[in-house]
Amino acid sequence: MNLNLTTALARFLIFPGLLFAVPAAWFLLWVERKAVALMQGRIGPPFMQPFFDFVKLLGKDTPPRVGAAGMLMKLWPLIAVSAAAGAVGLLPVLPSSGGFEGDLILLLALLELPSMCIIAAGFSSRSIFGEIGSAREAVLSVAYNVVFLLAIVSIAASQHTFRLEALAQLPASPLRWLGVLAILVCLPAKLHLNPFSLPNAEQEIYSGPMTEYAGPELAMWELSHGLEWVAATGLVATLAAPHVGLVWLAVLLFLALSFAVVLLLSVVAAATARLAIDTTVRFYWQVTLIFAVLAVSSALFMRLLS
Amino acid sequence: MNILAMLWNNLRGGSRTMLFPERPKVTKGFRGLVRFDPALCTGCAICKMRCTARAIDFKSGKGTFTWSYDPGQCTFCGRCVDGCKSHALSQDAECPPVYVTIGALKTAYTVARKPAPKPASASPAVKPAPGGTA
Amino acid sequence: MNLWNKLMCYSRRRSPWLFHMNGGSCNGCDIELIASLTPRYDAEQLGVRLEGSPRHADILCVTGPITHNAVNAIKTVYGQVCGPKAVVAIGSCPATTNVFIDSRTLDGPLNKHLPVDVFVPGCPPRPDAIILGVAKAAEILANRAANKIPVEPVVMALAGSECGEACACAATPDADKVAVPAANEVKP
Repeated sequence: MNLNLTTALARFLIFPGLLFAVPAAWFLLWVERKAVALMQGRIGPPFMQPFFDFVKLLGKDTPPRVGAAGMLMKLWPLIAVSAAAGAVGLLPVLPSSGGFEGDLILLLALLELPSMCIIAAGFSSRSIFGEIGSAREAVLSVAYNVVFLLAIVSIAASQHTFRLEALAQLPASPLRWLGVLAILVCLPAKLHLNPFSLPNAEQEIYSGPMTEYAGPELAMWELSHGLEWVAATGLVATLAAPHVGLVWLAVLLFLALSFAVVLLLSVVAAATARLAIDTTVRFYWQVTLIFAVLAVSSALFMRLLS
Repeated sequence: MNILAMLWNNLRGGSRTMLFPERPKVTKGFRGLVRFDPALCTGCAICKMRCTARAIDFKSGKGTFTWSYDPGQCTFCGRCVDGCKSHALSQDAECPPVYVTIGALKTAYTVARKPAPKPASASPAVKPAPGGTA
Repeated sequence: MNLWNKLMCYSRRRSPWLFHMNGGSCNGCDIELIASLTPRYDAEQLGVRLEGSPRHADILCVTGPITHNAVNAIKTVYGQVCGPKAVVAIGSCPATTNVFIDSRTLDGPLNKHLPVDVFVPGCPPRPDAIILGVAKAAEILANRAANKIPVEPVVMALAGSECGEACACAATPDADKVAVPAANEVKP
């Protein structure tokens, strides 16, 4: 089934798009904070905390922004939110959600955009903290993206498909698990979690590139961060989930797997400390090398088999 | 793997957090707000001299004196309590409260000076010994 | 007050984000502020987050008697905190300069430069007292949004332990009133 305009709008706006993704984003943000708190022996924030943070930020003033840089500063968070929401909308959660050839590439591009917007925002803010944070984010982005893209694209190429739905419905194979593992390794860096939380300077919400942001713009950045969580964990969930025909079972499986991935990432975040940039980059390039060898060889192997 | 064991113990053992607004009990000998007992005060003003932060003020009036104390200025060191010979000062064993207006916690007492104890006029006690050594 | 405003007031009370500034303190109060984020006291249960940028914060927590070096920095950072904002003076030093009274390295207590909303006395104040102060400041922010002035001692009533009817925050006793001592005493 191909994607027509109504289906596309429904997927972008309702499920798994904005209407579902925004509360899911708040829920996953809360799960991460609560899980880390419980593992540290605290009780952590109450359930509605990310929602209250969002509403409170909407009510704050923003500093006056002048010139083109100011206009750009207002633009980046909106682009980040729309890109992340679009990425969530593209996920093949329902069994017969359709899609189009090449929507995997679109998904990867949309998943990249929030990081690009953070980098651009740090530079647009004309603050030295922003510039340092953005430079770190850029270095980190190059390092983990090689693994991320290589793993997914090699799975897709070996199966002769760039369609997410087809990829999700594939029978389980070692190559698919390799891809899931590669994504899981990259997720702490993508989501700014320990041990790869370097661009944040020191807090959970990016303070490096985000230093000059306030009020509703900051609310949008928080929201884009939450939507990135949903999209990234959702990608792992759709790739790892076995294919089921029932709609409600598919949704349930998707939610359960996303939850499990969030818990796994929280354990990693609570158990580790932040690594410096050289260690982080070295780690990812080494992992990249291993994955490059594994992925290319398995892709060649699969193509030889078929 | 030590850290994972620690995390697991934390998850299993529950949190040690005190739920707001529960507060822990303070230790024995905690030095809180200074309390003044006007019945015991003799008006020597040693506390004002010993106070490190000038939180205690002492003014003499006609037949009375005023002892005032500003907890906002106080550093809760306890020198005044230690120096008071008549034990008129003591410290609360709880935290000082949070306040919103400056000077909100100030207290002042005006105490009438006690009359000096007069020696008894016809004392049956001492009689000079007849012709003895002093 | 319509629904959105009610929600906004409630959110402001439930989500106080702090920025901490040291105005020349001995670091005792700073340590106790960080201690309030540790598992025993866990300020995060109230939604408190210690932020890295003043633009992200609602509540500016200042420690230390304000030294000459610190005055401009504190005034600049106060200007950078985006409204609505509140200021909490932690410890006796920012309220009254404490033991450093009349020192020539200082430039007055904090309320000479900034409007202070809550004072948390102590040297240093205990972490639970600091959390109470921050909760009160969040309450003040919420009431300000609702345009309710003055602030009712709701937080103290919630606390239960300290405040009874006569709350120190609500009343300002006259310091030089000549009266019978027992009646002049302010209950905490």
